[in-house]
Amino acid sequence: MSQPRRLRVALAGNPNAGKSTVFNALTGSHQHVGNWPGKTVEKKEGSFRYRDLWVDIIDLPGTYSLSAYSPEERIAQEFITQEHPDVVVNVVDASNLERNLYLTAQLLEIGVPLIIVLNMTDVAEQLGYKIDVARFSQLLGVPVIPAVASKGEGMEVLREYLYQAAQDPSQFAPPHALVQYEHEMERSVRQLTEALQGLSDLQGYQPRWLAVKLIEGDTQAHDIVAHAPGGDEVLALLDKIMDKLRRTYGEDVDIVLADARYGFVRGLTRQVLTLPKQPPRTLSDRIDQIVTNRWLGIPLFLFLMYLMFNLVQRVSAPYMDWIDSLFSGPVPQWTLAALHALHAPDWLSSLVVDGAIAGVGSVLVFVPSLMVMFFALAFMEDSGYLARAAFVMDKMMGFLGLNGRAFIPMILGFGCNVPAVYATRTIENRGARILTGLLIPFMSCSARLPVYVVFGMAFFGAKAGLVVWSLYLIGIATAAIAGWALARWVFPEVHQSVFVLELPRYRLPTWQGLWLHTWEHTSEFVRKAGTVILGISVLLWFLLNLPWGVTDPRESYFGRVSGALAPVFEPAGFGTWQAAGALVSGFVAKEVVISTMSQIYVGEQEARMGESATPLNWREDARAIVAGFLEATRDAGKAFLDVLTPGVSLFPHDEGAQRETALSRALHNAFTPLSAFAFLVYVLLYTPCAATIAAQAQEYGWRWAGFSVLLGLTTAWVLAVAVFQIGRLLGWG
Amino acid sequence: MAMTKQVPLSNLAPGQKGTIIAIRSRGPLRRRLLDMGMVRGETVYVERVAPLGDPVEYSVKGAHLSLRRRDAANIIVEVPSQEDEDHD
Repeated sequence: MSQPRRLRVALAGNPNAGKSTVFNALTGSHQHVGNWPGKTVEKKEGSFRYRDLWVDIIDLPGTYSLSAYSPEERIAQEFITQEHPDVVVNVVDASNLERNLYLTAQLLEIGVPLIIVLNMTDVAEQLGYKIDVARFSQLLGVPVIPAVASKGEGMEVLREYLYQAAQDPSQFAPPHALVQYEHEMERSVRQLTEALQGLSDLQGYQPRWLAVKLIEGDTQAHDIVAHAPGGDEVLALLDKIMDKLRRTYGEDVDIVLADARYGFVRGLTRQVLTLPKQPPRTLSDRIDQIVTNRWLGIPLFLFLMYLMFNLVQRVSAPYMDWIDSLFSGPVPQWTLAALHALHAPDWLSSLVVDGAIAGVGSVLVFVPSLMVMFFALAFMEDSGYLARAAFVMDKMMGFLGLNGRAFIPMILGFGCNVPAVYATRTIENRGARILTGLLIPFMSCSARLPVYVVFGMAFFGAKAGLVVWSLYLIGIATAAIAGWALARWVFPEVHQSVFVLELPRYRLPTWQGLWLHTWEHTSEFVRKAGTVILGISVLLWFLLNLPWGVTDPRESYFGRVSGALAPVFEPAGFGTWQAAGALVSGFVAKEVVISTMSQIYVGEQEARMGESATPLNWREDARAIVAGFLEATRDAGKAFLDVLTPGVSLFPHDEGAQRETALSRALHNAFTPLSAFAFLVYVLLYTPCAATIAAQAQEYGWRWAGFSVLLGLTTAWVLAVAVFQIGRLLGWG
Repeated sequence: MAMTKQVPLSNLAPGQKGTIIAIRSRGPLRRRLLDMGMVRGETVYVERVAPLGDPVEYSVKGAHLSLRRRDAANIIVEVPSQEDEDHD
């Protein structure tokens, strides 16, 4: 058998041109999502087989241009010029031809073998556009394929062209120097091109393209020439040329270049595109009149947020309970039984069950809400609504130094900070993305609510609701102040940053696109953040069980660490090792704050299930698991309907209210109402959980995750101390 | 001279249009505007204003863009000053 042939294809195009749809249509589920090395930009790779040919596709980030201004553009440009894909497939939105062809003009300048997919021809047709595809292809000297990728139209033709390309990619190389510049500019480009042709090491760049980039002031191009032997002379020539160009064009050299490309595009579209005399009013325009309407825009946005928040919270809740029941019942039981049968020592059983399995459970429990969130977000993004939401909310977020795209992640933070951190991916500007990610932990997530409820019931009686409400407000106010300060001192470039947003035409997302998006991002969470959470969970087990043979938690390293930390919280009024211990475990997950407190204060030890006398029964357990899943699905369905019928309460009041009476009594001995409130302020503001840190590290790098932890710890401490001390001065203590 | 005047794009109201004659901003914004089709000679339509008064939606080359007023102020457009007279 001979080795199958392979073809390497890069997919390039504007955002919203339907690049991902083409990618999905070609590769189906044979795809993989990762990050570009050292970047937070998503990298999608996939492959498919066509006859005896394997085609590997790299989906480049969507860009409007190939300058090196944004990380996305830099990646796209570097990949095309340095990684030498055999062919570039340029996806072009037929309903927005002129703007899309600006990127095409640059791809033609680079001179790589090119195939153009003229996507969304159905939309163009509705708009009354007539495109002469044959003439188009003839003028550019490369194939142009009309397509509707969402319906799979044109994909077979594309596969056939790719198959042809594998014989000899150079047949699809565009003719030389299609894009011509204005007289003096063109002369300069040629002069510089000739000089560059004399250099040996251009790292794969075409001399003419590199010459244009040098004139454009591209620092990357400058570096490449500076490192090439003999490059200094070329740079000296560049200086001379630039002097001359500036005398002619002033500071508008880049505009002259852009003008020439648009001039080329205009010349092209004039020959291939016929516009209708009167552009029809599209459905998209009509939807926009409602969605971004002066009076309806904001209420509609808030309603959709309410819907999304509730879907993420409530539809996923039954499944979360189901996963939780698996990991507190059958899974550890069966594992224990298996370990017992293998005569494993007790400490090992405990490490596996209490450390590793508990850790895996705490990762998987996030999966349902993440899937719902990714699905809802993909729907809003793919349909075009997300851009409108940013348009509507931009001004409000501007006060925090953020832009409109930050609003949705912030709202999601009230449900769970973990999906909220992932949702910041929709923010283009990296600084703004990180800043939003740093503020999300101040949004009080639902896992903190049980802590408020237990303390509220124990200390504030009828005013408990008010206390809980005030905590949410304190979180929002803290985020506003922190955002304002960080935008000025840590991210000054974000404060100044521009917010140019494209409002793409509305369209119906494809199921395949939504599902792939949901699945890939969720599995990425399990792989990446999951490892970190599991690690922390195992670490906590060691802290609780070392030194060897410890029985009293106070004597464990965990107890000693908590004891050592306690004095730190003295000025905030809760400087006991028990309170500190609850906070330490709350660092892993807020869900465990109350259970840790019950264990320490009340001494209520949960019975170890595996050692119970009931014999294990495979059938029973399997049936219970399936029944549990079906029940969860029924409850999720009910919740879904519930969410769609407004008038439901936002606050779950049932949680943990009645049964914690023993704990309430114990808490009264350890806290005063004032120190209890200071404690709650601390719980609200410090690091939400290990999963959030892991998500931040995955999205922004460890440095920013660490910064976020420090920010949380100091803000929480300062405010808790302020609450306690000021309260005491006012005589509330 | 023809009846035209030059004003910042941010001065235009929804329903109005103008022809770009200069882009005064520098750096990333300028590059971004060029990439998105805001070039000299192009006609820009003002589509609508966001509910809170900012940003503003424009259309150029058939594509819809949202710009903050602060940024749109750096784009100078030419509009007919009194009568609808064309000028070359």
